[in-house]
Amino acid sequence: MTTDRNTLRSKLREKFPRNHGQLLPALHFLQHEFGYLPDWAMEVVGWHLGIPSSEVYGAATSYTELRVEKPGSTTVRVCTALSCAVTGSLDILNALEKELDLDVGNTSDNNEFTLEETPCGFLCAMAPAIEVNGSWHGRLDPQSALQLVRESGQ
Amino acid sequence: MTDSTLQSRFKELANDARGRIQQAVRGRPRIVVQVGHCGAAVGASDLPDAIRQQYGGRASITVAGCDGACFTAPTVLVQCRSGDFIRLERVASNDLRRVGMALRSESPGAPSSAARYIESQRRIALDGCGGLDAESIDDYLARDGYSALVKALQSDPQDVINQVKDSRLRGRGGAYFPTGLKWESARGFSADRRYLIVNCEEGEPGLFKDRHLMEGLPHRLIEGACIAAYACDAQDVIFYVNAEANLSALRVENAIRQAQDLGLVGDDVLGTGLNINVEVRRGAGGYVCGEETTLINTIEGYRREPRIRPPYPVESGLWSRPTVINNAETLASVPYIITHGADNFAQIGDGADTGAKIINLSGSVRRPGLIEAPMGTTLRHVIYDIGGGPPDGVSLKIIGVGGPSSGVFPVSMLDTPIKPGFLHESGVMLGAGAVIAMDDSIDVLSVIRSLARYNANESCGKCTPCREGTPRMVEMLDAIASGQSSKSDTDQLTDLARLVNIASLCGLGQAAGNPILSGLYFFGEEMRDALEQN
Repeated sequence: MTTDRNTLRSKLREKFPRNHGQLLPALHFLQHEFGYLPDWAMEVVGWHLGIPSSEVYGAATSYTELRVEKPGSTTVRVCTALSCAVTGSLDILNALEKELDLDVGNTSDNNEFTLEETPCGFLCAMAPAIEVNGSWHGRLDPQSALQLVRESGQ
Repeated sequence: MTDSTLQSRFKELANDARGRIQQAVRGRPRIVVQVGHCGAAVGASDLPDAIRQQYGGRASITVAGCDGACFTAPTVLVQCRSGDFIRLERVASNDLRRVGMALRSESPGAPSSAARYIESQRRIALDGCGGLDAESIDDYLARDGYSALVKALQSDPQDVINQVKDSRLRGRGGAYFPTGLKWESARGFSADRRYLIVNCEEGEPGLFKDRHLMEGLPHRLIEGACIAAYACDAQDVIFYVNAEANLSALRVENAIRQAQDLGLVGDDVLGTGLNINVEVRRGAGGYVCGEETTLINTIEGYRREPRIRPPYPVESGLWSRPTVINNAETLASVPYIITHGADNFAQIGDGADTGAKIINLSGSVRRPGLIEAPMGTTLRHVIYDIGGGPPDGVSLKIIGVGGPSSGVFPVSMLDTPIKPGFLHESGVMLGAGAVIAMDDSIDVLSVIRSLARYNANESCGKCTPCREGTPRMVEMLDAIASGQSSKSDTDQLTDLARLVNIASLCGLGQAAGNPILSGLYFFGEEMRDALEQN
């Protein structure tokens, strides 16, 4: 993993031509590399593309898929869009909140779990669905969802 | 280059593809494993390898997208001795004996409910989805894929535009703008470069059709996009794929490479001298990303916000060049029109509105999935006859149509036909085709609140009516739900919903009041009754 500014800068130089249109691809690259967008890395992207850090940050925070805060090592997202909500996703969310002792939208103190809700996983025909560390699971109930999360934590 | 050399060059490509398939199959039966976003969520990703390990010697195994009968996923199609395919449903990787038994069967037996589900549809964009190899171009080429592109290249671009105009195809992303007209206007503005963007953002809750198209028929999308690019004289085609749709992006990228290798896209397409560069760009989440000018902003590296129109993208879009933005489903219908003719397409539907539309059915129904039905089909037919209606012992109460920009219907409106634009004046639109069936255990207020909350969260904050109005509407709905509201508050809520619709800048805000307006129109009594009890 890239940890210093110079290495990141040379990686960016290799991958992204210096134009404004490369901002989103570069931010995706950071998210892939670090799991979120560290402040210092956004600054380096700004240097490379010639975009002020404030603008980089402004754009980054306008996208729901990009994270500017470090998530827990296991990220659980529960779809609460209408199709999932009417087939029981709120029960799943409640069960997970209880199991992880965590309010939705937060990361546990030991940085182990992040629990979030998402407006849609686009698995409406497989509702209710949750995502654990990037992979989606459908046709769940509170029990099977808890089991998935427990297995992922091991 | 003459038409006949173009033809013969293409024939050669198709023959080569058939040869490669024959070589791979070697007379063995075929097994098609459907792996899509939906199937992967219930274990389909493990199936191809597991099946290859056990049956790889006896059968030729290919991976396809999901055919839209999502309720049976993971689905595997196995060719039995008669040559017909047996449909295995809800297959688990630890129980593959069914695959072996199907290989040994003499005949396919009675069709399953899922087979009938697909047969009762009118598939145009989705035709072949779930059967065609999604990882190789050969299957598509062997079944006359890309022949529509070749046909288009032999005619004048204006003829192609005229055909699409005559077919009366309208944009399937929800706005239903006439597609041919859009192409013509972009062509009409003089420019050194033009762009064609395939809008595969699909960020609206309740939708999963574009993912199915990208995962199952990436080459049909590329073919449709290239025809469009030729017609409106665009040199660059950009597939704008939702940030989370990883499998879709993978399949489309792979398909682009294959098409490039065969000279179907890229420089000098099939020796015609035409250049069409195709690339994939990823979004970064959010409903508003699918809005045309927002989408352009995100590609250019700016905040996720809409721009003021005019100028419209067809005049000044990406990098200030004329830009055509078409939904994936729209472009997937284009090869059909070119192959079968505008009249053929125009005859599908109910006369006024042509073609078929993919309905994304979910919620409390027996057979949730994708249903492509002619325009004019009633919601009742879609939900009950094809979708199987609600499970036993449950009756439907609310039908969410068209997602958070639209509204809700009571069951008494089930005979409404699907068509572009408003289905009802209170704000119910077909939109991109999401239909969510909800049973009588669901409280209408919670449904409207869920849609309103979504709009409030997705509001980008650029214009005041939407930024301030959408959260305020949620607060007012909360007050009603918690009993801290009086009857006159519903009038205020109606006023606010109308105001947000009228005064907002982009499509999100202009439709954000619809869930509330339609909810109050159809279920107002239920909501006011709740208030009276307080």
